[in-house]
Amino acid sequence: MVELRLPKNSQIRTGKTWPKPAGATRLREFKIYRYDPDTGDNPRTDTYFVDLDDCGPMVLDGLLWIKNKVDPTLTLRRSCREGICGSCSMNIDGLNTLACTKGMSEISGTIAIYPLPHMPVIKDLVPDLSTFYAQHRSVEPWLKTTDAAPDKEWLQSRADREKLDGLYECILCACCSTSCPSYWWNGEKYLGPAVLLQAYRWLIDSRDQTTSERLDNLEDPFKLYRCHTIMNCSKACPKGLNPAKAIAEIKKMMIERKAA
Amino acid sequence: MREQLITKDTIADPRTRYGAAKASTRHFMTQRVTGAINIVFLLLLLFVVVRLAGADRAGAVALIGTPWIGLPLALLIVNVAIHIRNGMRDVLEDYFAGSTYTLLMTLTTLFSVVVGALGALCVLKLVFWG
Repeated sequence: MVELRLPKNSQIRTGKTWPKPAGATRLREFKIYRYDPDTGDNPRTDTYFVDLDDCGPMVLDGLLWIKNKVDPTLTLRRSCREGICGSCSMNIDGLNTLACTKGMSEISGTIAIYPLPHMPVIKDLVPDLSTFYAQHRSVEPWLKTTDAAPDKEWLQSRADREKLDGLYECILCACCSTSCPSYWWNGEKYLGPAVLLQAYRWLIDSRDQTTSERLDNLEDPFKLYRCHTIMNCSKACPKGLNPAKAIAEIKKMMIERKAA
Repeated sequence: MREQLITKDTIADPRTRYGAAKASTRHFMTQRVTGAINIVFLLLLLFVVVRLAGADRAGAVALIGTPWIGLPLALLIVNVAIHIRNGMRDVLEDYFAGSTYTLLMTLTTLFSVVVGALGALCVLKLVFWG
């Protein structure tokens, strides 16, 4: 049901301000969301100061500097540190993006960091993405065929392969889905931009032979049609992809199928 | 739209449905088509409103009674009623489920039918009977 305010135990309070590193001349202030379910305390924002002369240029560098040198309890996901794995997606300076590809110099003033919006928080900057992954599984993101498997491989023309450009690059960081107000509201029923982009990637794969079945599974007022073309997804995508266009293409396929 | 238990397993199942599957594309198409038609017809409505500025009742009856004005206006009313029903479905789906949704959707349908039919009949009366 409609809730206009956060529940009392979810309201964010001002947390601890950690001391500035001794002897540092170039400092950068970080304000970071902290939440530990084990303590039962409300979430808070802690303030840290990063020594820029001792730290790399990216926001992830700053976070790891804090974790290594100031507060080891700060919890975040990270792996590749080069925009490929999608682990370090979070809300930085009001925009969902990857901490590893966002430069500190791109942000003016204090760097405010929160977990991806509107997802359950496991701890600090780590959201629970299990629903998101279940939705991804629901579009069956793998090649489905009905013909007998060929001796070597399923062939694809160069032109057909090019149709997948702008789709296969998705790293499932969930920046787009968690920036979508429609996904915030119907997060369990609406598949969200990332999953729909993945669905489209398989719908237009020339080797896939279950397009009709895939469309059948998507034809639902919530799974697909909760997209109201808000376009936050395309603005947020750190890989420069356009999930809104992919969703529009799916809707077009649905209509063409209906009209045929 | 029935209430259902949503778990990670049901979410992951490709066959899970949350609403009228076969109707959803038709609803989407209806929404877009009626929306586009509304834009065209509203230009006519705007023309009528400007023409009727300062006119008395007899002038209004004469203008709306003209078939090439009255008939599209009647269609506009019906079109808007269909569009209202579609738009309200979207809103109600967001906020309600189960029997509350069914009740409110039924009321919306009744409202749209009554308003659409009554409005169109009123205009058609002016066109055919003055």
